[in-house]
Amino acid sequence: MKNIRYTLLTAFVFGLMFTSNPAKAQLTDGVFPAAGTPSNPKVEATWNHYYNYKGISELTERIAKAYPDLAKRTSIGKSYEGKDIWMLTVSNFKNGDPDRKPAIYIDGNIHSNEIQGTEMAMYTAWYLTESFGDVKFITELLNDKTFYIVPTINPDAREHYMTEPNTGSSPRSGLKPIDDDGDGLIDEDQPDDLDGNGSITQMRRKNPRGRFRAHPTYPNMMVRVPDDEFGDYDYLGSEGIDNDNDGRINEDRVGYYDPNRDWGWNWQPNHIQGGAHKYPFSLPETRAVMDFVMERPNIAAAQSYHNSGGMILRGPGVAEDISTYNRQDVQVYDAIGEMGERLIPGYRYFVVYDDLYDVFGGELDWFYGVRGVFTYSNELWTSYEMFQSNDRAATDSYEFNKYLLFGDAMQEWTEYDHPQYGKIEIGGFKKNFGRAHPGFLLEQGAHRNMAFTIYHAYHTPKLEIDEISEKNLGGGLREVTAVITNSRLMPTHASIDVNNNIMPPDIISIEGATVEAGMVVTNRDLNQTTEQKNRPNRIELANIPGMSSVTVRWIISGGSNYTVKVDSQKGGVISKRK
Amino acid sequence: MNISVKILGLCCLIGMMSVPISTQAQNDNNYRSYSEITSSMKALNNAHKNVTDLKSVAKTSSGKDIWVLTIGSGDVKNHPGIAVIGGAKGSHILGSELTLKFAEQLLATANTEETKALLASTTFYVFPQVNPDASAQYFADLKYERDGNATSTDADRDGFTDEDGFEDLNGDGFITMMRVENKTGNWTVHKDDARVMVKSDIAGGNKGAYMLLTEGRDNDKDGDFNEDGEGGVNINQNFTFDFPYFKPGSSENPASENETRGVLDFLFEEARNTFAVISFGPENNLSTPLKYNRGAASKRVVSGWLSDDIDVNKMVSDIYNETISLGKAPSGDPQQGDLLQWAYYHYGRYSFSTPGWWTPEVNDEDGKAKKFDNDHAKYLGWADSENQNSFVNWTEVDHPDFPNSKVEVGGLKPFALTTPPYSMVSDLAQSHTDFILKIAEMKPSVELANFKVESAGKNLTRITVDVYNGGSFPTASELGQRNNWVRRVITQIKLGNNMNLVSGDVQSFERSIPADGWVTKTWLIQGSGKVTVRAGSPMTGFSTKEQTIK
Repeated sequence: MKNIRYTLLTAFVFGLMFTSNPAKAQLTDGVFPAAGTPSNPKVEATWNHYYNYKGISELTERIAKAYPDLAKRTSIGKSYEGKDIWMLTVSNFKNGDPDRKPAIYIDGNIHSNEIQGTEMAMYTAWYLTESFGDVKFITELLNDKTFYIVPTINPDAREHYMTEPNTGSSPRSGLKPIDDDGDGLIDEDQPDDLDGNGSITQMRRKNPRGRFRAHPTYPNMMVRVPDDEFGDYDYLGSEGIDNDNDGRINEDRVGYYDPNRDWGWNWQPNHIQGGAHKYPFSLPETRAVMDFVMERPNIAAAQSYHNSGGMILRGPGVAEDISTYNRQDVQVYDAIGEMGERLIPGYRYFVVYDDLYDVFGGELDWFYGVRGVFTYSNELWTSYEMFQSNDRAATDSYEFNKYLLFGDAMQEWTEYDHPQYGKIEIGGFKKNFGRAHPGFLLEQGAHRNMAFTIYHAYHTPKLEIDEISEKNLGGGLREVTAVITNSRLMPTHASIDVNNNIMPPDIISIEGATVEAGMVVTNRDLNQTTEQKNRPNRIELANIPGMSSVTVRWIISGGSNYTVKVDSQKGGVISKRK
Repeated sequence: MNISVKILGLCCLIGMMSVPISTQAQNDNNYRSYSEITSSMKALNNAHKNVTDLKSVAKTSSGKDIWVLTIGSGDVKNHPGIAVIGGAKGSHILGSELTLKFAEQLLATANTEETKALLASTTFYVFPQVNPDASAQYFADLKYERDGNATSTDADRDGFTDEDGFEDLNGDGFITMMRVENKTGNWTVHKDDARVMVKSDIAGGNKGAYMLLTEGRDNDKDGDFNEDGEGGVNINQNFTFDFPYFKPGSSENPASENETRGVLDFLFEEARNTFAVISFGPENNLSTPLKYNRGAASKRVVSGWLSDDIDVNKMVSDIYNETISLGKAPSGDPQQGDLLQWAYYHYGRYSFSTPGWWTPEVNDEDGKAKKFDNDHAKYLGWADSENQNSFVNWTEVDHPDFPNSKVEVGGLKPFALTTPPYSMVSDLAQSHTDFILKIAEMKPSVELANFKVESAGKNLTRITVDVYNGGSFPTASELGQRNNWVRRVITQIKLGNNMNLVSGDVQSFERSIPADGWVTKTWLIQGSGKVTVRAGSPMTGFSTKEQTIK
């Protein structure tokens, strides 16, 4: 599309005797650029609906084909049902090896019903590739950094959510069949879409001795009556029948396990942590992510997208891990998280175990605990977004549905003859409302959340060699001093990393000189140093903290045209010639 | 075995193939290597096809199979099962041999009525060698106690893998220790046995004159000796309970290794009927049972055995000590990431482990057990009395890392403390087989007792039955009652057409039924026809009653 437009434009521009700039091509196509949005994208994409697996496969492929120097699509593994788990690597491939640049890993949709993380992730890939070259900040960002973007790490059950009857909260699990109730049968009593509308909604039954009644203004809403009154209805739970005739309804659904309880840091079995499967990474999807991340020590930051509630979450997931997150690291987390609260109105920066609920074996704790990666989970969509107000009421969803969605999110109560319950009514919110963004707010949510991850990615370490200076010591010896600065918030090694030597140290080496001795300068003014006896030509540093400089020194006896090289797993590789 | 002896005899007659003969002859006198274990497993499976099934649950990174032999007949997945596992700690060579010999001794009686009945109601899952890449070091030219598999690791986390292994400085084929004369050293010789090195005792006036290091060079010149050799991950440190992050031998992630996951997946998915895991390794809760620790048992992340399970451990320990007498055992505390603790805390099954052997008591002239204050001194006392050649005498070597110091190489030969002379193995194996078979006899077992059918009015029948556990183990451990991987006892009733269940549950579950305990079930049925009641779990077996109501 861009090419055709460009050709037309060229003709047009020549016709107007070079008065127009080709970058404003879209003017001729009837649009005027809005600030902050790629206005003439090479890859057509819309952000007011959700992509199914086919849509994800096509869009990721189109981005990679349109921008071969910026985006590459690979599969990090297969899901339980054999679907490829697609990943886009986004970086300026013409400026350094993407696997050696400081990187952020982003995934969405670990819980299959929490769908919009996929769109947030794909919007990020789309926005970055479309903006490279046009937006200076993004251009520099992709020169320096790498984004590993996995739109969905639960593709099987995402598809199930979309194509099979579900609530807004199901399946959450993946699709490996499990005998939940232990009767020897597998997934034999799932919810049933009795009214055939594609959503599992609610069941109620008229009963003059019931405990519920309809809300006077919003009759679709069921309200519990005061303790000393009778209502008009029984509330009967989610739409379904007792398929296996065991006296229980919907007790063995698809799955069930929780992929976000399958990660190998402080993992606990199902009797301590509900949803845990056999052992850490016993599910193919989480294992694929783990295998990928273990081979990418350049990942310094990570983001996973969930819904809902409007939260930017960090670990620890449980009180038992409080001491894992120590002070210096929490300062970095806080600085980025608090910026997130500003960028995404209505979202609050929280600590999982303290502000939410306990999670053993969650993804963000693994990234931080085992890899020393600063990681957030965003709980996308909050009821704040309906009326952009913190003054919220229980009727907001019904009001929002009536006046902004014009009733599209609601299944009106309709009668049904139920084999166990008799005459009942079925109705309630459809599965795409309550947790997923409504279409007209999706692009805004994607952009704001992306902006937060870009801030996060920007603050992965950036190392610069500020100074290489030389002093003659006489007797054929010279003293070479190099100063290396990390100009971003994040250290090259989180403190959990420093304490446990998770990643190898940062190596500051000198090449092209005859090195007699090497040392770290701990106080340059007072000439305090610590000598490194072994391999003095490559000084090892346990860490280069954020917004700080380190000084190293060599005593050399030969070489004048030497190079200082910094090799840091999470800080990248840089070098400077004397 | 008979067949191979005949073939051997034939070969001797013909006077050819001298190499196979010597190998074969060794097999009866020595611990079996991976390839010998593999052929023994295949031979067992070929000879007993009707009651065995040989499967590889994983391949190691060097391509070796992790074998499991399932032994049992009939519906083997729904009979109470015992997993017998050797060699998770690769240097524990005896464990592999005891495990394999258990299968051999059990199957040697496969044609007896007693064993036939046992195998028709009990399933055994036998894993003889879970870390073959590590165990192989026992059979290698250079012998050292290796627990790491063939996965390259950065044990000292310096960015290099496998860069500082051992060197056999005295060329004897064993990695032992080196002592270096040095003022700053804090080791000295034992007062009663000068072969043994002990920590210096400043209060006792001995400041120490030696550094004590493992045999080899500091190849990477980081000041530590042999801290990052070939391989690997210790499988007995790779299980998921209390995983020791960032420790040498642990791997980066729990259950990271093919070996570990092969065992876990098999036990979780294929062997759900397992009620007890019996493993051989350094941990010991058999000659000495675990003690109840209320604090640890009450924590959210349970880290002490629950009280009912402690009682079962005591019961089983008593049986172990009645069956096997080895004297006072050295400390065998559970270790982080080990198999013993995983099988209890995460698999929810009864879990027992024993080293299978330890240094026997040494008697003085009066027949009294001599007292030792040091495990090595005790071992050497016993080895001397048995004429065991298991010590390398300290001899001086030139060591390039210590050009100006006296360096001597010597010490206990590797494996000595845990690996008895092979001549002792046969008896040890028989007693351990006897022990395992006693546990099998005690298995949880659900029966439908006191089945009663009575008229309860016009066209109404009441059925009553006790779902009874006739075993000596509860149908699930106290901890296992909380774990979804441990199946509850299910009771189901099926009615013929035109019959109506007026009262009672179509199916119901019990988390656990105690040993010799029961739960009474009752149903009220309208109409006539066939009624089937079935109760049990894969871990207890199932029991069925049928009755036709007229």
